[in-house]
Amino acid sequence: MNQMLSAKVLEYRGKTLDFSPENPAEAKIPADELHEHLQKPSTARTKRLKERCRWKHASAGEFVEKGVRAGIERMRYITEAHKASIGQPEVIRRALGLANVLNKSTLVLQPDECIVGYHAEDPNQFPLYPELSSMGVQDFLMSDYAPQPAEEAAEIHKYWMPYSLQAKCQPYFDPTDLRRMYQFSSMEAPPFVSGYNSIVPPYETVLQDGLLARIKLAESHIADAQKAMSAFPWDGTKGLDYIEKIDNWKAMIIACKAVISWARRQGRLCKIVAEHFETNPKRQAELLEIADICHRVPAEPCKGLKDAFQAKFFTFLICHAIERYASGYAQKEDSLLWPYYKASVIDKSFQPMDHMEVVELVEMERLKVSEHGAGKSRGYREIFPGANDLFILTVGGTNADGSDACTDMTDAILEGAKRIRTPEPSIVFRYSKKNREKTLHWVFECIRDGLGYPSIKNDDIGTNQMLEYSQYSITGNGATNEEAHSWACVLCMSPGVTGRRKTQKTRSEGGGALFPAKILEVALNDGYDWSYADMQLGPNTGGIETLKTFDDVLEAFRKQYRYALQMCLSTKDVSRYFEIRCMQMPFVSAIDDGCMELGMDANALSEQPNGWQNPVTTIVAANSLVAIKKLVFDDKKYTLEQLNDALMANWEGFDEMRADFRKAPKWGNDDPYADEIITSFYEDIIGGEMRKITNYSGGPVLPVGQAVGAYMEVGSRTGPTPDGRFGGEAADDGGISPYMGTDKKGPTAVLRSVAKVQKNQKANLLNQRLSVPIMRSKHGFDIWHSYMNTWFDLNIDHVQFNVVSTEELRAAQREPEKHHDLIVRVSGYSARFVDIPTYGQNTIIARQEQDFGAEDLEFLDVDI
Amino acid sequence: MDAKKNVQNQPHVEEGTSKPCRTCKWQTPDPIDPLRGQCTANRHPLGGVWKRWLRNVESLTCSRHEEGKLSFREHV
Repeated sequence: MNQMLSAKVLEYRGKTLDFSPENPAEAKIPADELHEHLQKPSTARTKRLKERCRWKHASAGEFVEKGVRAGIERMRYITEAHKASIGQPEVIRRALGLANVLNKSTLVLQPDECIVGYHAEDPNQFPLYPELSSMGVQDFLMSDYAPQPAEEAAEIHKYWMPYSLQAKCQPYFDPTDLRRMYQFSSMEAPPFVSGYNSIVPPYETVLQDGLLARIKLAESHIADAQKAMSAFPWDGTKGLDYIEKIDNWKAMIIACKAVISWARRQGRLCKIVAEHFETNPKRQAELLEIADICHRVPAEPCKGLKDAFQAKFFTFLICHAIERYASGYAQKEDSLLWPYYKASVIDKSFQPMDHMEVVELVEMERLKVSEHGAGKSRGYREIFPGANDLFILTVGGTNADGSDACTDMTDAILEGAKRIRTPEPSIVFRYSKKNREKTLHWVFECIRDGLGYPSIKNDDIGTNQMLEYSQYSITGNGATNEEAHSWACVLCMSPGVTGRRKTQKTRSEGGGALFPAKILEVALNDGYDWSYADMQLGPNTGGIETLKTFDDVLEAFRKQYRYALQMCLSTKDVSRYFEIRCMQMPFVSAIDDGCMELGMDANALSEQPNGWQNPVTTIVAANSLVAIKKLVFDDKKYTLEQLNDALMANWEGFDEMRADFRKAPKWGNDDPYADEIITSFYEDIIGGEMRKITNYSGGPVLPVGQAVGAYMEVGSRTGPTPDGRFGGEAADDGGISPYMGTDKKGPTAVLRSVAKVQKNQKANLLNQRLSVPIMRSKHGFDIWHSYMNTWFDLNIDHVQFNVVSTEELRAAQREPEKHHDLIVRVSGYSARFVDIPTYGQNTIIARQEQDFGAEDLEFLDVDI
Repeated sequence: MDAKKNVQNQPHVEEGTSKPCRTCKWQTPDPIDPLRGQCTANRHPLGGVWKRWLRNVESLTCSRHEEGKLSFREHV
């Protein structure tokens, strides 16, 4: 077995750089088990919590851990309330449904935990949402994870068939179009069928005001409205508007009261356990303190850091799992918690503690999120292999006045993540040249330990984008210059404002995917999918014999792409239409200042547009177009008919031809021929066509290329492609990342290629894999820091890193039981490598491991 | 591919078959519609898994049918 880091040297600017480990002790660690030696939980408690963590990772649609299944309670109580509230306004029914779930559901309290609360009746279970997608729930009922009793679950599923979001939306579309979307090969299924969702909860109002204050606000709005309605002279053009508003405010009050009561019930449980069952005096005292916290928050404003962590977690559970399902963990966490850090750590005015106690709280929060289970439909259990759900928080960046937003809270979040080593929640770091070096060192430490996060986003690009979208606000109240700095990633990549109002409330605003690799395949076949579904997948745009020029090929793609765009975005807005009418979120509305002021439901009110849609597999399509242009239309070495014959045969018997298509110029090598075609493809077609669409919020929709694990699923549903890829092989793993193993000219050539794409883009994911010895050497930080500054100067939006050796990945494939702490970046999220199918593992191994040569260091102007 | 494509070794309709795709280890449910499925039997020696959509997991079958269930590690 080799030692971890073989000494490696490089001549640079007259110096010999030695890449032996910065920490000499690491030289003794075998190269194929490095990651098993990196965790350092800050306390014995967090070590225990990690050892007994109830992960709920899914892969290939199945749960990896035994004993995970759907619970029955949420679906039981939401149904019970729905039946009992017939005749009441829909928004009130939604509030009563939430209240019934919160009032009756079983509570969960686990040993050692200091942040309490769960969203199902058993910590190995997760809730289902029969009011959303019938198909999604039916899949669970037919699986090994069906809720029990099965008969009751089946009855509930049947009850909701006419009332579900799916049932409301489907009649407005041609079943042929919907069947094409259900393939999940050229388009993601509509949100009303997938049930998949994302949200940015306005946590700030809960922490700053408390829910009792929100109830008072709603009560005073109702009183004002009633007064206005009774004032002489009656004006029917205005007065009737108050009816809906009053219903919304009433629903908000019901929801807030239910949440307070639920939190206090958690507190009483802690008190009962402390007084009657717990024998350890230290734990008794802790439980009594938690009981006190749960009694006060989220009812009242938070006063210290423990309050803030607890109130935030309760809010997360309601917004993401109980009122409605939503993926994500969107928040600007360091800014959100900083006032409470100051109170507890610096001023010691409430819940006094030192910095390391904050780190422990961060570790405990990470473990709570790691245990969270999502009742996602099968498609979403397939496309995030190795993950629980997409939990992603944001830190760093700049404050409202443009100054550095990094604080000791930022450092505690990063240190906790490095120490406890959990794949979730992932972290986004907003990179600005104003960021302090102390925090950048923590960012680098996490990256070089191979966590795959923080993923880095360009602070300036994100902030400017909030201002650009603000111009389209239909209420004229989009993000201000100051609010534009508050952004966090909604899921993996797309920035959206955080704060007391104007945040994204539903994924029908932004989210959803479409798949250019498959779209190109059908564009070459008159819209027909011969390789997966054996059906017409798009409009008839002509067979291959009609494509006489490269422009003909591009235009056939454009037409197929427009069809996919139209379906994806229209189904989202129709979902939004019915979310407003039957999927109201009175709790989310109550904690949004805009909804509270205007008496509107959170789905309905749009103040800051944030339209986005993910093109995934763009590079397979783009490299294919380059190969077609070069070999068919420029060099005329082959005809399109010959290419078609080779593709239909999966290149079998066409070895030389495949070699030519593989050798054609590829993205990520700063190749002018490839980059010109691909840049135009991104800017004119992928982004240019998309931005012609206006969504519910009045703004343009822009591409956010972020592959997650869809690059594997869609790859397996896509036949052979003209870039030389075999049928069923994975597609490209980012949004703008080079295809795995084809970026041969080093890391700076990748940056130069990626920097060429600027117009009509919202965000594009760039995956890079860096050399372990270089990153773990004493020069690692300087090289990475210079790389980041160059990346920033090139105006690139995003980058994320794997720092893991092929040796260690291969060892984990051989003996998975010995590599539970090996974390990798998949795409937009991190996962335990051993929880990913072999197919996906191989795509990570195949990624080009970027070394830095002297010419790269010169380009980066590394000062060593 | 590990087998030359022909009618028998690819999913085809056989009403009343005793070896429906639903019970085959190479079958995995459709990501969206639970009444459909996906065949993963077409596997490339280099590791690719080329899926085929199964319209009807009850009446489709092929000569490569094998009872059972694969681990998540062997799927996509």
